[in-house]
Amino acid sequence: MNILKFIISLLITIAMLLLMDPRSFYGLAFHEWAGLIIGIFFILHKILNWGWIKKVTVGFFRKCPARARFNYVVDILLLAGITLMILSGIAIARTIDFSWLNLGGSGIFWRVMHTSSSFITLALFGIHLGLHWNWVLVLLHLKKSKNGKKN
Amino acid sequence: MVKKISFLILAAAILVTGVIGFRKLGFWDRSVRIFNYSSNTSFEGRMGRGQGGRGFERGEFERPLMRELPDSIRARFESREGRPGQGMRGRNIPDSLRQQLRPQDGERTGRGSFEGGIRTGEGRGRGEFPDGKKINIRNVQWFLAVFAAFTVIAIYIDKAACLIRRRKARLMRQL
Repeated sequence: MNILKFIISLLITIAMLLLMDPRSFYGLAFHEWAGLIIGIFFILHKILNWGWIKKVTVGFFRKCPARARFNYVVDILLLAGITLMILSGIAIARTIDFSWLNLGGSGIFWRVMHTSSSFITLALFGIHLGLHWNWVLVLLHLKKSKNGKKN
Repeated sequence: MVKKISFLILAAAILVTGVIGFRKLGFWDRSVRIFNYSSNTSFEGRMGRGQGGRGFERGEFERPLMRELPDSIRARFESREGRPGQGMRGRNIPDSLRQQLRPQDGERTGRGSFEGGIRTGEGRGRGEFPDGKKINIRNVQWFLAVFAAFTVIAIYIDKAACLIRRRKARLMRQL
């Protein structure tokens, strides 16, 4: 299960980096389709970690370690960032026709929203990875788990 | 010890590269732009994005000005669909100069995101580069550097927090 989580996270990270410049990797069509697919992978990532989400959501205002609380806030911001990124991407899409969605708003607004949300989300991605760095090291057998449990 | 020092040097190198990338990409300006956005905001030229001039597509800038133009001129612009050079056919300009002013089809500047795209998805919008390449990850490298820098910062802040927590716990035990 952890390997699957790791592979999905790695794919999301690589895709996110390649999507930061729309023309760097197979152009705009790839950018738009991959942007949509990354959303699906993100949902999958959340489903795979549903146990943790449920546990922290229930105990957020009760007994919960500060670190888990901070992780949770970063995750919520990430969720908001990705949602805004995909929504604004849909609003300014050129190769896929989303005009039927009638999102409204000016093109400039959505474009600014897309750029800002993607930049902020990238920073949050980095912070998220940093907070889970120990998990990555344990998974790659570069570090021993503290509680001796097999990850 | 050697391992620790080499990791520290690596982290410092990542941080320095990240800071360079942060500046090069205008990361802060572009991140907070949405918070400074108002419908009356005027975006001039290339949005002052510094290096590489990642501005909005030309059509977006010109739209507000278009409204102020007389109908006849606006119609002429609209018939061109925002492609400079196309409307020059009827003008009294020497051929050599017209050739110079007319942009080449599929011309790319390699300036990065959101630059000069065409609504129809033609030309630059498809992301091909002048030499026919479909991949050019030069800009992605800077994004990777910034991403890695944020990761390193988070790792060390997390480590520092853990250390402080452990020290506090030890002190509490001693008391």
